[in-house]
Amino acid sequence: MSRLKYLAKRVLMMIPVVWLGASMTWFIIFMGPIDPAARLLSEGQTRNPAAYERAQEQLGLNQPPLQHYMDWMWNLITFDLGQTWLLYQGSSVNALILDFLPRTLFLGFWSVLVAVLVGVPLGFYAGMRSNTVMDYVASMGGIVWRAMPNFWLAIMLLVLLQNSEAYFFGFNWQTFGVNLDALTGAPDMSRLASVDGFLAATKKVLPAALVLGSASMGNEMRIGRTAVLEVKNQEYVDLARAKGVSDRAIVWKHIFRNALIPLVPVITSEAFLLIGGSVLVETVFGINGIGWLFYRAAIQGDLPLVGSLMYIFILMIVGVNLLQDVLYTFIDPRVGLEGN
Amino acid sequence: MSETATPEAPDATGSERSALTDSRFLAWALAGLVLFAVEAPALVTFVVGFLADAIAAFPTSYAATAADFLVGIERAAIDLPTLLSRDLVPNQGYWNGEQWVGTFLGLSPAVSWAIRVALVYAYAFAFLGWFAAGYELYRRRYRTADWTPRDDVVDRFRGHSWGKFGLVVVFLFVTMAVFAPTLGPTTVDQNMRDSYSYEMQYWNADAQEVQTTLVGEANRNSQSAGDSANVGPLSYDDYGRYHPFGTMPTGSDLFTFIVVGSRISLIIGVLSVALSALLATSLALVSAYYKGRVDLSLVLLSDAVMAMPQLLLLIMLSTVLAETWIGGIYSGGFVLALIFAGTGWTYMWRSVRGPALQVSERSWIDAARSFGQTPTTIMRQHMLPYVTGYLLIYGSMTLGGAIISIAGLSYLGLGVAPPTPEWGRAINLGQDYVATGSWHISLIPGVLITIVVTGFNALGDGIRDAIDPQSDSATGEAAGRGGGA
Repeated sequence: MSRLKYLAKRVLMMIPVVWLGASMTWFIIFMGPIDPAARLLSEGQTRNPAAYERAQEQLGLNQPPLQHYMDWMWNLITFDLGQTWLLYQGSSVNALILDFLPRTLFLGFWSVLVAVLVGVPLGFYAGMRSNTVMDYVASMGGIVWRAMPNFWLAIMLLVLLQNSEAYFFGFNWQTFGVNLDALTGAPDMSRLASVDGFLAATKKVLPAALVLGSASMGNEMRIGRTAVLEVKNQEYVDLARAKGVSDRAIVWKHIFRNALIPLVPVITSEAFLLIGGSVLVETVFGINGIGWLFYRAAIQGDLPLVGSLMYIFILMIVGVNLLQDVLYTFIDPRVGLEGN
Repeated sequence: MSETATPEAPDATGSERSALTDSRFLAWALAGLVLFAVEAPALVTFVVGFLADAIAAFPTSYAATAADFLVGIERAAIDLPTLLSRDLVPNQGYWNGEQWVGTFLGLSPAVSWAIRVALVYAYAFAFLGWFAAGYELYRRRYRTADWTPRDDVVDRFRGHSWGKFGLVVVFLFVTMAVFAPTLGPTTVDQNMRDSYSYEMQYWNADAQEVQTTLVGEANRNSQSAGDSANVGPLSYDDYGRYHPFGTMPTGSDLFTFIVVGSRISLIIGVLSVALSALLATSLALVSAYYKGRVDLSLVLLSDAVMAMPQLLLLIMLSTVLAETWIGGIYSGGFVLALIFAGTGWTYMWRSVRGPALQVSERSWIDAARSFGQTPTTIMRQHMLPYVTGYLLIYGSMTLGGAIISIAGLSYLGLGVAPPTPEWGRAINLGQDYVATGSWHISLIPGVLITIVVTGFNALGDGIRDAIDPQSDSATGEAAGRGGGA
């Protein structure tokens, strides 16, 4: 019961967070130094008072600010996000998001998975064999891997894969497994249901996912290592060993399960990085996901679209936070029992 | 004891300690004076130039006059002899068929340049050694207390080789930024800003004679753009100019671009970290002192800021603020620092709030409160000293993250406005040539960013282990990532 109460409290806390975030976005975009209406029009149109007034009216900027704020917030809550102005002119923002979001989610899913599947085992391995050469190699690799700028890593990886035949003794990434027509570009999301289509789409986003997950991979490795080191020396592990529990059971039941607890917030807090980093990685790999859309909207001056997308990002991050709390209550039975 | 010691009968050890005429102190002070004197004109130039830039940013006529006056001082100071200047060890010369003309002692441009770089770093390390010797002297001879808690921190850091590695990397980077104009084989003006206003002489091998050309023209013929035209690292171009890191697609020198770019990265980074540290500490102290509703509202506020991905917020704000007057200061670097501080304080606030809450539970806070001290005094005098150490940790890591973010933004074409050099822009410019002979343009800046960020993270690790050996090494992870750039 107390767990449910804890979760309910967390859900309740999310409302003011979303409200504050959306309000700040509104303030930056509509109360900032740039006139969004003028930004949407071309040079010639700006001087045309009729066109300018029409744009202002459609954005609702001819109303008093408070009224505009209320309208805008109401539109966000009801997901009535209007239509775009410059980018894909005139299409519905909802449709655009529904079209672009799956690609980013697919990319994010794989980058989390790659990071977890590579980082956590490596970290646990390093922790179990601490202070060996392998441990130092793995730890050092994780540290350097973390410090690399994602966009640079993306460029370098792309070049390596494009010339994989020359660099990897005849191994050709492009034709390996599923044949790809191009290394960059968006994954084909329409054929995900078929095995072939799923593999092709996966192969397409895999390099991007590796880059996007690189920071998390390094972090997860490091924290996994520390967690195993800490748990390994706990008294209950000694007790279990003294009781005659098999090594395998000690490792899986007593060490790993407890070492996972500090990893959960890391994995979920990486969501911040994933969503932020998606802009650069999607730009380099030419994946037209929602991060790419945000960047295009920002540089082309479609500020209303930027605001709507920011709202979606806020919802995503808040959602991930909620997921973290749910996971926590599953993994750590103590959550909710001691007040917080 | 001080009560028993009277002026007539001074304590023997005490007077020895306070004597500033001690020969060791004199030697140390003299060394400092020499170190200062050889670089004094450069320092004056830097300070005056910085002030002139700062004043010129304000759009009034008085400011223009003041800036002109300062520029006059700057010109006068430039002419004074300086140890680490381009004039003392010049590397820009030409081959006249028999020997090098205009370079240092007639050596080749590569050797002259290497000597100048070695001199700069020798000077920087001499300065570091001087500082360390001064601290040691103070600690052993002049300080009244034999031991303070901070000594333990310093000693622990000394035994931390990973942290020391970080310190050395950071020190090398800072030296690079400080001495940027001296380190480059050519100047920014000649290299990219105004290359067609400068003339240069070179040895034309075909005509077998020394000819004169415009620097811009020479740059145009030394481009690195794939296999057909390339001037790689550690090589000369056709005009007898040495390029330690090769040239860029425009033909300008990459090394000069990078050293000057390190300056803007460092300045934005330091400014933003200082601002966000200020904001984060004051808010952390307030929330730890008042707790309850104040704390809760700050938690919500920081959660809301964190719910907007930092990099996206940076993109959004730098587009919105790009055309304002504040966006023009220091090529957009100032507004970038402000945005970083405004979006990045949350991470620092989260990590300082914990220690601050712990301190606020201690009995001396209650004592001070019952003694009638004001909340601001309590926060400043009784809480702040216990959390400053944590600021150093996260400051170091956030700086590394800021460098990545700034590079990421300029890769996208946002943030620092061209033509001001920034590392991310070099990566962008060289992107198409990575698989060709001109691989250096993208590769070198990326490797440098990796090294510098690793250095800042290592320094942060070292400081953390020095301040709090029991702390778990998992804190501050998100700080060093620059919002996922």
